[in-house]
Amino acid sequence: MDAVVCATHCFHCGSPLPPAGGFTVLLDGIARPVCCKGCEAAATLILAQGLGRYYEFRELPALKASGASHDWSAFDREAALRRYTHARVDGAREVSLQLEGLHCAACAWLIENSLARTAGVTRIHVNPGTARAELRYDPRRLALSQLLSAIHALGFTPLPLSFTGGIAAGTAERRAALTRLGVAGLGMMQVTTYAVSLYAGLMQGIRPELEQFLRFVSLLVATPVVLYAAQPFFISAWQSLRVRRPGMDVPVALSIGAAYLWSVVSTLRGHGAVYYDSVVMFTFFLLLGRYVEMSLRHRAGLRHDALARLLPDSALRVSGEQLERVTPEELSAGERVRVLPGERVPADGRIDSGSTEVDESLLSGESAAQARRCGDALIAGTLNLSGVVEMIVTQVGQDSTLAAVSRLLERAQASRPRSADLADRVAAWFVTGMLLLAAGVALYWLHADASRAFPTVLAVLVVTCPCALSLATPAALAAGTARLARAGILVTRGRALERLAGADRVLLDKTGTLTRGEPRLESVTVLDARWTQADCLAVAAALERHSAHPLARAFAQQRAAPGIRAVQSVPGQGLEGLIGDTRYRIGRLEYVLEGCTDTPCPPLDSTHTSVALGDSTALLAVFHLADALRSDARETLERLASLRLTSEILSGDRAAPVAAAARALGNIAARAGLSAAEKLARVEQLHAEHHRVVMVGDGVNDAPVLAAADVSVAIASGTDLAKVSADLVLLGEGLGGLVTAVETSRRLLRVIRQNLIWAVLYNLTAVPLAACGWVAPWMAVLGMSGSSLLVVLNAMRVRERRPASPAVPPRSLSAPITA
Amino acid sequence: MSVIYLLIPLGIALLALSVWGFFWAVRSGQFDDLDSPAVQILLDDDRAPPPAPDARDA
Repeated sequence: MDAVVCATHCFHCGSPLPPAGGFTVLLDGIARPVCCKGCEAAATLILAQGLGRYYEFRELPALKASGASHDWSAFDREAALRRYTHARVDGAREVSLQLEGLHCAACAWLIENSLARTAGVTRIHVNPGTARAELRYDPRRLALSQLLSAIHALGFTPLPLSFTGGIAAGTAERRAALTRLGVAGLGMMQVTTYAVSLYAGLMQGIRPELEQFLRFVSLLVATPVVLYAAQPFFISAWQSLRVRRPGMDVPVALSIGAAYLWSVVSTLRGHGAVYYDSVVMFTFFLLLGRYVEMSLRHRAGLRHDALARLLPDSALRVSGEQLERVTPEELSAGERVRVLPGERVPADGRIDSGSTEVDESLLSGESAAQARRCGDALIAGTLNLSGVVEMIVTQVGQDSTLAAVSRLLERAQASRPRSADLADRVAAWFVTGMLLLAAGVALYWLHADASRAFPTVLAVLVVTCPCALSLATPAALAAGTARLARAGILVTRGRALERLAGADRVLLDKTGTLTRGEPRLESVTVLDARWTQADCLAVAAALERHSAHPLARAFAQQRAAPGIRAVQSVPGQGLEGLIGDTRYRIGRLEYVLEGCTDTPCPPLDSTHTSVALGDSTALLAVFHLADALRSDARETLERLASLRLTSEILSGDRAAPVAAAARALGNIAARAGLSAAEKLARVEQLHAEHHRVVMVGDGVNDAPVLAAADVSVAIASGTDLAKVSADLVLLGEGLGGLVTAVETSRRLLRVIRQNLIWAVLYNLTAVPLAACGWVAPWMAVLGMSGSSLLVVLNAMRVRERRPASPAVPPRSLSAPITA
Repeated sequence: MSVIYLLIPLGIALLALSVWGFFWAVRSGQFDDLDSPAVQILLDDDRAPPPAPDARDA
């Protein structure tokens, strides 16, 4: 069976093989089929370097290699070198790269080993967790552009990150947390050994001076743990008290502080109990829980960090005949900017001359290079790969798409779901209540048995610390958001994930949501017998090259007839231009007929959009355009149905195309010809029937309907992002993210619920036991830290990756294949 | 039992040494990537690459 799977999918990238393939690579004497020339080149290069084990150990198939050799030479300019690299005193240069297509340790190994053999590379480290590479190379033997193309040849896209100097804030935070954890951990090992001796001494008898010595040694080791490792708890407790909202760190700081001071006093006085073991254990386990939670959060934030560093530091402004280098901040809308290959686009704009390919992977998750021609939009921060283009700036700074995405991400990180807010509010009351309870317990025991008062109060304080309660939701949410961000899904409001998990209806817009939103040529009716279809298309393509109209995109794939001149565009009507001495018109039927002397009767097709082409005497052809369904639309709806979500199309389009789409998608319910108000009414009707509704649209035109739904999902196509007002934004091409989002949100909700139930149950049972004096402080420490750790580890389960759609199982690739 | 008056201070000295070592390791980035080194040993291969025409740097 493996052989069948492998023979239908590319050995390198796992995409289905085209029918007319013929590309193969040779591994272990067996020919493996690959899908295209690009993948063949990448796989051959990998195998020729003896790095074929990559294919055995990788976790996911590679990106489809584009095959085109990009010109990276723009990175050799002095300005680019200054921006992206850092010169060391010994003449070597260092550069940081963000690598697209890097999934696992095998990918990192492949890049490291391949580049380590390249002359001039002196040091390389690839971190698969962050998809970053740190390289040191000798600029006299190797140019930066050669380095980049070497990585690109392996099938990964390198994006140089501007050199910021020093280490990132996240790294610094993680390192500080790690050193604190280390101090607490090492301290804990020592202090518990001393504690065991002291407990044994209590039972078997111990010489007083030896006992005193052990206590002083414990004090010596516990002091740095309390003063250095436990510092964050004291700071955060103090901060929460200052705003009069006691958080979970108040009982923590109180127990650590009180137990430590009590022990110090006992040690100095030479009698009384000491709790150094409880203090250090408590600190260590709490720090461990926080550390795990922090690493979850950091993974969610990495993407944001990468986005923030995307803008270039200079742009080439064109004013008249003059070129000048300015910073992106100096640009304003309407100005003309030239973007060279290898440069990042400095602002949002529209191409005015030239054509190129751009890499938008960091914004959309779409890894293939995107072709952009005259009239197309360019997004700030994307990488210009191949051609020189000039563009007119449309949006700068805070209005740009990049800023919008960053803002959405920030909002997502700032907004927390209802249960998290609730847990925090509850925690504040809970803490106050528990402090009162502890005071009550103290009063009772002081009267009943004063010698047991302190250990009992300490146990109550430790056991009731609501850490598990407070960590339950945020930890799970951080894990869920990180997972979704990796799949190209932006969560802009944390609350939406909870509602998404409970939804049972999906309403989808048609144009731009189920369909690509760009027309495709369906058929051509040639009306003049002297013309062939190809000739008509060539003329049409030549004319439409000069149009920015969305319909013009349908002709972008066609070969254009040469020698077109004097093109004029009539907005809303069409275009006319000269080829040779003949004047051609393309556009609306009425407009084209206006230019003809003959007026024949044209055939019209009501289910399609038509574009007419004519010369000065007669109509030549009519092109029928249709908006094709997204390739994954049907599969997405089927998988949604298996998740018990009923889909329905709500479209403003005419009945015939909507019905055709509904049929093609497996006979789902459809309503056509609806105005925005009617769509809104349908959402309200479903609400009245107690359905929970997810509305999927393009996020701009159907904003009011999106706002009315329980959860709104927008399919963003780059430039519109700034206006999108949805809870979830699918950044990639296609609808597949919807299924991932629903699955993740359900798993997330399940985990949050488990966490909360556990935390509440634990507190309900442990508090009475502790108040009765049956729990020693060290037992309380173990119970409380165990419960927080359990909650955080449970949250990590949200991050698990289910086997993705029909990708090639990597291990099976080593099975012999006879192609 | 008086030997522990020597051994425990020795233990504390070792502890101080390991804390110092741990600080050094964290600050020099030893803990920044915990995923890839574990797999590297599996991937590094004794199979010689097929002879390639391009000259390699030693």
